[in-house]
Amino acid sequence: MKSILKTIRENIFTAWGLWLALLGMILFSALVGGLLVFWKGLVITNLTDLVPWGLWITLDLSAIALSAGAFSLCVGVYLFGLKRYAPIARTATFVGLIGYTMAMLALVLDIGRPDRFWKALVYWNTHSLMWEVTMCVILYLTVLVLETMPILASLEWLRKKYPRITEKMEKVHHYAPVLAIIGLGLSSLHQSSLGAMYGVIKARPIWYKPEMAVVFMFSAIVGGIALTLLASMFSARLTPKAKVNDILIERVAQFLGYMMIGYLYFRFWDWLAQTYTYEPGRTEAFEILTRGTLSFNFWFGEMILGALLPTVILLYRPLRSAPFWRMLAMVMIVGGVVAMRFDTNLVGLLTVISYLPGQTTVTYASYTPSLVEWVTGIGIIAYGLLAFSLGVKYLRVVDHRLTSETHQTVRVTADETVRA
Amino acid sequence: MNDQNISRRDFIKLTAVGLAVAAGTRAITKADASEDAKGERQWAMVIDQSNCTGCGYCTLACQARNDVNPDIEWNKVTSTGMLDGRMTYLPRPCMHCEHAPCVEVCPVGASYYRDDGIVMMDYDKCIGCRYCQIACPYEARSFNWEAFEGENPAVPEWGAPEVERRPRGVPEKCSFCYQRIDRGLALGLAPGVDDEATPSCCVVCPTGARVLGDLNDPNSNVSQLLKKYPSYRLRENLGTGCRVYYLPAGVVPVRKVETES
Repeated sequence: MKSILKTIRENIFTAWGLWLALLGMILFSALVGGLLVFWKGLVITNLTDLVPWGLWITLDLSAIALSAGAFSLCVGVYLFGLKRYAPIARTATFVGLIGYTMAMLALVLDIGRPDRFWKALVYWNTHSLMWEVTMCVILYLTVLVLETMPILASLEWLRKKYPRITEKMEKVHHYAPVLAIIGLGLSSLHQSSLGAMYGVIKARPIWYKPEMAVVFMFSAIVGGIALTLLASMFSARLTPKAKVNDILIERVAQFLGYMMIGYLYFRFWDWLAQTYTYEPGRTEAFEILTRGTLSFNFWFGEMILGALLPTVILLYRPLRSAPFWRMLAMVMIVGGVVAMRFDTNLVGLLTVISYLPGQTTVTYASYTPSLVEWVTGIGIIAYGLLAFSLGVKYLRVVDHRLTSETHQTVRVTADETVRA
Repeated sequence: MNDQNISRRDFIKLTAVGLAVAAGTRAITKADASEDAKGERQWAMVIDQSNCTGCGYCTLACQARNDVNPDIEWNKVTSTGMLDGRMTYLPRPCMHCEHAPCVEVCPVGASYYRDDGIVMMDYDKCIGCRYCQIACPYEARSFNWEAFEGENPAVPEWGAPEVERRPRGVPEKCSFCYQRIDRGLALGLAPGVDDEATPSCCVVCPTGARVLGDLNDPNSNVSQLLKKYPSYRLRENLGTGCRVYYLPAGVVPVRKVETES
């Protein structure tokens, strides 16, 4: 006990110590908030029967979307053979695992009966998009755990204590291409079915359109890659433990710029298609976005800062090659994806279409997250930051000196052990 | 090369294992009845807006018989404007849609169709994700944000509870008083005719503005009313196929209400 206290006293005033202390405090208050939610029930949130999904769903959708770097980069590396990007894929996989566990935490808070979580696995309604989402979350989380095995095996302490286990864990790297294929299937199903989950709801015209799945998928790919690059670059600035290869990152960033053009293209047609349908409820909801309560989020969060500016930065070489501007662009893209998820969820719920006959006007609901929603939500983000920081420090998740050759050597030894 | 063979073989193995697991789980939870299986009886409700006075007795009787939290109304009565000097109302129970969005979206199948057309909730299966609430075009579902404890103010004046209270964390909705229908049929009574076998909202209505009956029986009260008068359903453009029909205000002669002595 004394030695622990001593270690704390010695380390608390280092930047690392303060960072951990800050995250610890946030996590503690979130834990209190979470227990409060389980104890008192969802009545302490500001969710209502008209707006039953709020901040937590946004967090859940964003965490999943920003995990998409894992599958997109793994596909690039293992299926398209872009081997030199393997170190970035490694970071992306770890970010993906964190994102998915964050989403699980948000879901446990959000569902009314967390004690019955397992029922989603036992009772199937294959008609339900939510069923598909559930299956994809569980299966893809399994894939991510397998994909992260070789990363977790690099934990020094584990290596020394259980060398046989870490050897086995490293061997999983053999299956990286297979896992990339399964991951591609599950993840693209998952990302798009989250959009389709909204897209099939006929009662809410702003959602009811086939392109929801595509827009969710597309934005997830750009957001996921952006977060991976941002996390890599940012940690490399903060700690010598993280080593990045700037040439690799810049190439991916340029690719991201072109992807953003695709995203903007989709959103443009999404807009026009909505503008001229004049379907009751859709026009009103669209107006909430363009000049109503969500207009700031929409114009600045999603469009100007979230899509337009970063596209320009990433495609204009002088800006892209400056790390500051490149990181700023990544921050904007990540923020834009979060804003897009928040707006999409809320705009459909705020526009209430009356079931009363002959009632042409729609009514508007309102929603502001409660304190407990904020505290627990920020706590989940703090958990993600903590997990990533520990990963950078102890698992070398951002280390671009690691090449596939490193794994190659490991693999050969693993093979020999098996034969012997 | 050797390496590749291993991956391929293992990939096939993995796929096989995955499929076996999926098939196994499916077998365990094999759905008990096909959705298309239609029962002999198809319950429907007809609400006559000409005779509805907006007294709200239906809501109260429902809250008592189904032990509903006073904050929640399974049957909501809304005023819908004046017609010929009379206020008109629209009471809204669950529509028990033929193609119910709530049933389609429920991940665990906690919302399901009964053979007789009633859209039911299995409150023990529900995980509380609220997707059904979001999908319902009629706001027919209310979530139990907190546990309903203590006395039900609608009891005993409006009747005694007949079903279990729902726990915290699940959405609830009108069930066409399935418990009264089932018990009545078991006793040899006719739902829609005998009070004991008819939903409490229909029984309590002082003007007889709500009736329940079998759509498959051409002589039932609902079939007769629908044949005689024009009717409409809510948000029909969505194709949900509601089993609640409304006779618009002004089409049915207004009956004299017998005041209690």
